[in-house]
Amino acid sequence: MEYLSSERILIVDLEAGEVSEYDLDEDLVAEKIGGAGITKALYEQYQEDEPIVLGAGLLTGTLYPASSLAVITARSPVTGKVCHAPVTYHAGIELKYAGFDYAVIKGRSDKPVYLWIHDGVADISDASELWGKNLWQTTDALRRTLGDDLIQVLAVGPAGEGGSDIAQVGVNYWSSGDRFGFGKLFGQKNLKGIALRGMGLLEIADPEAFVDAAFEVLSSIKNGASVGKKGVEDICAALGEGDVKDWLAPLVHRYSACYNTPYPSHTFVFLDADPKKRTDPGTDEPGFRVTDVEALLGFKKLGLSAEAACRLMKACAKQGVDAAAVAELSGKAGKTDAAAIEASLSSLTGTVFLPGRGIFSPWSPQQPLFGDFSISGDKGEWWERRMAVAYVFGIHPIFAVMAPELTEENLLEMSRIGTELELDREVLDIVVGDLLS
Amino acid sequence: MDLINHKGTATMGVNIDALKCIGCMACEMACGYHRDDGFAFLSACIVLYRGREKKNYFGVILKEEERLVVARPEGVEVKIIGASGDEDTSGEKKDEDASAKPMLLREPCDLCEEMKYGPMCVKVCPVDAITLES
Ligand code: SF4
Ligand code: SF4
Repeated sequence: MEYLSSERILIVDLEAGEVSEYDLDEDLVAEKIGGAGITKALYEQYQEDEPIVLGAGLLTGTLYPASSLAVITARSPVTGKVCHAPVTYHAGIELKYAGFDYAVIKGRSDKPVYLWIHDGVADISDASELWGKNLWQTTDALRRTLGDDLIQVLAVGPAGEGGSDIAQVGVNYWSSGDRFGFGKLFGQKNLKGIALRGMGLLEIADPEAFVDAAFEVLSSIKNGASVGKKGVEDICAALGEGDVKDWLAPLVHRYSACYNTPYPSHTFVFLDADPKKRTDPGTDEPGFRVTDVEALLGFKKLGLSAEAACRLMKACAKQGVDAAAVAELSGKAGKTDAAAIEASLSSLTGTVFLPGRGIFSPWSPQQPLFGDFSISGDKGEWWERRMAVAYVFGIHPIFAVMAPELTEENLLEMSRIGTELELDREVLDIVVGDLLS
Repeated sequence: MDLINHKGTATMGVNIDALKCIGCMACEMACGYHRDDGFAFLSACIVLYRGREKKNYFGVILKEEERLVVARPEGVEVKIIGASGDEDTSGEKKDEDASAKPMLLREPCDLCEEMKYGPMCVKVCPVDAITLES
């Protein structure tokens, strides 16, 4: 597979402590397109080894707007279903640029390890020093040991190591859309985390036509309904929770976006520094990046102050616990005291609500946010198809429900221009059908 | 080293408003594409500096012919390349060298003179944080 690709698939055998790789076959792309289409196929191929499959979408890491997504596909140790968790921020593109479109991590290591995937090389390294560290300490330690502040880290904290059902694979210092207990799966495999970094180059079949078409889509987005909106607050407002804005306002520092994503979906709050300050805040850990709307609203509904809610989200991220699950389970248990909730993080259990088939993350709201998608039929069906499409091409799943400009036709067209493969609606329907089967 | 207001005209070609920037890296990719005709970051002369992630402190660095323009949230800093007194003695890595390839080893901005869109970074920025000085 020559285009929009690193051309390679990595196989990591944790049991044997060995890595191998093979070429990404063009026929596989022609049949399954990419992203979740291929991670699911790889999952099925290696299912006896209970693999964790990491993969990039076909358009991930390109100039196509919102092409920031990678996916973790695995069987949820909680629900037993094969699920797909989103990896965004600046981490979603890093696997491809580190030299692999897909990574299959199979088996179980007998001692704690981490993977270091960089510049076309993958190492299985001893993680005994990292075991027991929280997510922030782990990310700091990996960046320091490996000597690069821009290393992207998918890792688990004590919750994953300890086998909690609500353990989450975090991304760098932040929470993620893993609602499936993949953190527990990492822990079961003795896999502390995956460090990613690379400076690869992706060839494009027709570079000029690709960029022309990408800019055309960007122009329409810049005239679209999401313009001028920002952060979790405007997402909450679109969900009918307009008072979040004033509630959070005193803490808001700055907004940021995932790779090449036109909407800044992160609201950074300062909890231990003046949010108005524009210079380096001096203090090392001034606050938290809030992206998880479900968790934020969940804590707000428990009656917590914005500061208490954000501090709890930060504590969850450090422990590697799914904050939305914490909010939901605390609510069910009638717990509304922030300190009590924080003290119970390691012992909380229970099943949490997952929409639809339970295979895509409710981290992405289940309705259009700003744009008009002219949905006919069931909204839930619409959302799952939209997610399937986003996870195949590598489109940010929150932006996907904001931007009707990113049509299926356009995504297919971009894929054809970028790869010269005959990808059409028929192929997409089969891939989506397979994901939703 | 001069410190100029973040909306100031510190640059000869493109202006960067770091307060508007949402840290998406699209400019870095667009510049890399302009250099390499593929998708890559290695040759970009405009780079999002993002090494202080825990603090949410980020901005954009541009390498021009003789200077580095560092657009920070609090203002634009211009460093003349090769000027003395610029060595970092703190032991901390400087923002401009947080990426795999030091800025000083990269080609300077040529304002995308051969591209039909003109400056690619200006074209691609979703929030118009980069503008062309008229
Ligand atoms: S104008 Fe062109 S060369 Fe200069 S920084 Fe922007 S993209 Fe790079
Ligand atoms: S494209 Fe614009 S918003 Fe994105 S990093 Fe560059 S300057 Fe910032």
